Amino acid sequence: MRKFGYFLLYVCLGAVAVFQIFPVLWLFLFSLKTNQEIFAGNPFALPLDPKWENYVKVFEGGIDTYFWNSIWITVVATVLTVLIASMATFAITRMKWKFSSLVLGIIMVGLMIPIHSALIPLYNMFLNVNLIDNPLSIVITYVTYNLPITVMILYGFYTTIPREIEEAAIIDGSSVHRLFFRIILPISAPIMSTTVIINMIYNWNEFVFVNTFISSDKYKTLTVGIQNFIGQYMTDWGAIGATLVISVLPIIVAFFFFSNKIMEGITASAVKG
Amino acid sequence: MRFKKAITFSVVLFILSLLLVACGGDDGDNGDTDSATSDTGSGNVKTVKFMHLWPEGSSAKHHQVVNEIIEEFEAENEDIKIDLEVLSNEQYKDKITVLSTSNELPDVGFTWAAGYMEPFVNGNKFAPLDDVVESDLADDFVAGTLEAFSVDDVTYGLPLELNISYIFYNKRIFEENGVEVPETLDELIEVAEVLNENGVTPIALGNRDAWTGSMWYMYLADRIAGDEDVLTKAIDREISFEHPALIQAGEELQRLVDAGAFVQGFNGLADEEAKSMFTSEQAAMYLIATWDLPNYTTNEDIPQEFRDAVDYFPFPTVNGSGDMTSYVGGPGVGLFVAENSDVKEEAKKFASFFVQQWGVKAVEDVGVIPATKVDPESLDLPQMYTDVLNDLNDATNITLYVDVQTSPSTAQVHLDMIQSLFGGEITPEEFAETHENTLASEE
Amino acid sequence: MGLNCMNKVMSNKWIITLYILPALLLITILIVIPLILSGYFGLMKWDGIGAMEFIGLDNYIVALQDSKFWQSALHSFLLAIFSALSLIGYLAVALILASKLKGTNFLRKIYLIPMLLSSVAIAQLWIKVYNPSNGMLNSILRMIGFENPPAWLADPNIVLYAIFIPIIWQYAGFYILIYYAALKNIPESLIEAARIDGATPLQIALKIKVPLIMNVFKVTIVLSIVGSLKYFDLIYVMTGGGPNGASEVMASYMYKLAFSSYNFGYGSAIGFLLLIITLIVTVIIRKLTATDEEIQY
Repeated sequence: MRKFGYFLLYVCLGAVAVFQIFPVLWLFLFSLKTNQEIFAGNPFALPLDPKWENYVKVFEGGIDTYFWNSIWITVVATVLTVLIASMATFAITRMKWKFSSLVLGIIMVGLMIPIHSALIPLYNMFLNVNLIDNPLSIVITYVTYNLPITVMILYGFYTTIPREIEEAAIIDGSSVHRLFFRIILPISAPIMSTTVIINMIYNWNEFVFVNTFISSDKYKTLTVGIQNFIGQYMTDWGAIGATLVISVLPIIVAFFFFSNKIMEGITASAVKG
Repeated sequence: MRFKKAITFSVVLFILSLLLVACGGDDGDNGDTDSATSDTGSGNVKTVKFMHLWPEGSSAKHHQVVNEIIEEFEAENEDIKIDLEVLSNEQYKDKITVLSTSNELPDVGFTWAAGYMEPFVNGNKFAPLDDVVESDLADDFVAGTLEAFSVDDVTYGLPLELNISYIFYNKRIFEENGVEVPETLDELIEVAEVLNENGVTPIALGNRDAWTGSMWYMYLADRIAGDEDVLTKAIDREISFEHPALIQAGEELQRLVDAGAFVQGFNGLADEEAKSMFTSEQAAMYLIATWDLPNYTTNEDIPQEFRDAVDYFPFPTVNGSGDMTSYVGGPGVGLFVAENSDVKEEAKKFASFFVQQWGVKAVEDVGVIPATKVDPESLDLPQMYTDVLNDLNDATNITLYVDVQTSPSTAQVHLDMIQSLFGGEITPEEFAETHENTLASEE
Repeated sequence: MGLNCMNKVMSNKWIITLYILPALLLITILIVIPLILSGYFGLMKWDGIGAMEFIGLDNYIVALQDSKFWQSALHSFLLAIFSALSLIGYLAVALILASKLKGTNFLRKIYLIPMLLSSVAIAQLWIKVYNPSNGMLNSILRMIGFENPPAWLADPNIVLYAIFIPIIWQYAGFYILIYYAALKNIPESLIEAARIDGATPLQIALKIKVPLIMNVFKVTIVLSIVGSLKYFDLIYVMTGGGPNGASEVMASYMYKLAFSSYNFGYGSAIGFLLLIITLIVTVIIRKLTATDEEIQY
């Protein structure tokens, strides 16, 4: 009976897995099709005559600059966000001061802003400090707009860290910085990896800010490569598919890497905790 | 103590940033003077910023011809450099909005006609271009196109495209099902019924974008009213939108829908999905404007058998009423020059040069019908282009798309109402009434 | 003496400032100020292009009587409710993935893959799923005998729910990932102790694991509701809020007003109301879910 239960569970889990992996396979097939096959053909069908030239088109479109921009902007913004958010969450949850809930409240308000409300004021600000068409504006915006969600995720976790850990550290004469960098950060490695993954995905796929603040080709990111194939009257969906496939690969690699980090973090914290 | 300092510091920063924002809101010209000094700083070469919406990936030929024109212009004018930015359609519109709020419009850019353009003209963002038209381009444009880019008889845009719409159809499907090209609405409904009985989708329609459905409504209104351009008159407030012809057009439209003329679920389909159904021979007819001509003639991505099978017919009469040489269409995009440009003269020069060169190259190299006059005899064109150009010469009337004619907010109401009319959720009377109220409230 | 010293160190104002200031400054300048400005634009009659004209609270008063706004607000609320309910399912999946079952490490990675895809890709996938004539869903429905399956995105009575499914699915990975990390962080010793006491896996999950990650769960409730109330992406790409507003949500309505209708003042007012509504809802949720902030191991 019990064995049958497990069998059933695995069947369900397997079915869900197929359902979840399907989009990536579908996307790959999509990238090899013509517009006709994409819109009018059977969606399950294999492309009749795989259009590898969709990939050629993407590379001819000068994707490499976009690619590097995407990588460095994503990495810098993600590192900064997670670091600044960790520091803020640490101060809010572990330190003792009057305004901590007020500050948490302000940060939570940041969750609620619809980006299209912010677009015009932001543009104006960056214009006034001469940061329009400067990748710095993108990095700063990414960091800021991902801070609230990152703090919130970390917050749920930080409140569960036992007080004894820091008491022990402080009584041993550790400074607050040492406590934060050497003890709290390593303990929170699993949840930090989680926020890294989430930040990475958000930054990697963002395009509204890039399109608005950046005008030179040399600073644009991969998502702009997608825009390249959207036309006034016609859109080349196969090429968009190819761009999406190329752009999702690095993120899958990074995801698997950090996904394993979640496990490593646990062993680390198990030793310390 | 340190804490106090930090707080003071952050408060000061906060106030400073507020001030920065406030200044920016009050006069956005700050940014402009900055760019002007940097322009003159680099010798005597002046930079003209130009934004367009034909990305290389999706509009390779457009993109290439634009680049050729820019090269030629720069070769002729060594003291002017063109600084180019390309965005896709939606992104372009959004960015233009953001830029205009900060007075940062590019020196030359694309705009749409009439309703889209009006707020920019009223806000003093576009420069009047009458001098350019008079000196360089007099008599170059097809009648009516320049008017669509004028407000109070002053021209603010130089049109680049001219499109009219037809019903394109698949000759092979028509033959296989033994149906003829319809000349009246009743015949069209009969064709649809025969096709439906034989399991063929009669008309592909992607009404998620609603401007597609709007063209159907507009044609019906045009045919029913005959010589009188009731739609334009109603929008200009010369007559009420509750005119009998405009209500009857809604009724006829719902008759078409009820006869099953359109593909199932059209209100959830994008125009692109509908187009692909037509080009993959899953639907017999498709109403679209002439910007689609390359797909039926020269576009190698579309199967040759299909391109051989496709032809077009003008929208049928409503049982004898209406003139088949009257079209729904109009100029697509045009060029504007920014009013606050620091290099206005150079920008105008470029815009004028661009329009002239575009007129020469558009049909042959890109497959776009320009708003400037073209002589079909002098060019080596696919037959369909020659036919369309001849039709254009014989056209008695071109009614500009409702969503272009009206203000952007009325256009939105119109598009929403079109979806509801097609979906049968409102009656033709309610449809007309809502339009009348919206238009009246804008007066 | 130890505790005293601890309190002193942990309430050092300079250090607190140092840790909080970067986040606070960025958020104040780049989020709070734009928010205030958008509230201020809401007081204007402004097309975003020409001159502004101060009209007081008119936009806000109009908005409160605007049936389209309330319709879109209702849709946003429905999405928020469905998203919040779906969290229970994600928690269940995370509990299974975090258990000692064989193969879960591999399965977990597969489960999270869809969240890596951008909205552009997800929208395209689901447009193909929902295509009325040759979409995946209707192909399957016809195969199993439904003669006239609905046109999912065209029917005003169905479209809203049809579009909720990809939205909720899109975020599945996000929440599962958070729950998973939280669950994996529970000290093994606690679970081991319960097991020795004879607790079944289900009991361990419900009585030990779930209570221990309650704080995380509460945060995700806030995240999912706030995220839903300002949701925009797939709605914009897949239906544009149509047909005739049947799938409009607050953010897409705001966007339409500001960027398509050039009613920038009014759009800003709607954006600001969106914020106020979200704020009120968040406060209510926090009140409802408030218990002891800390759970001691």
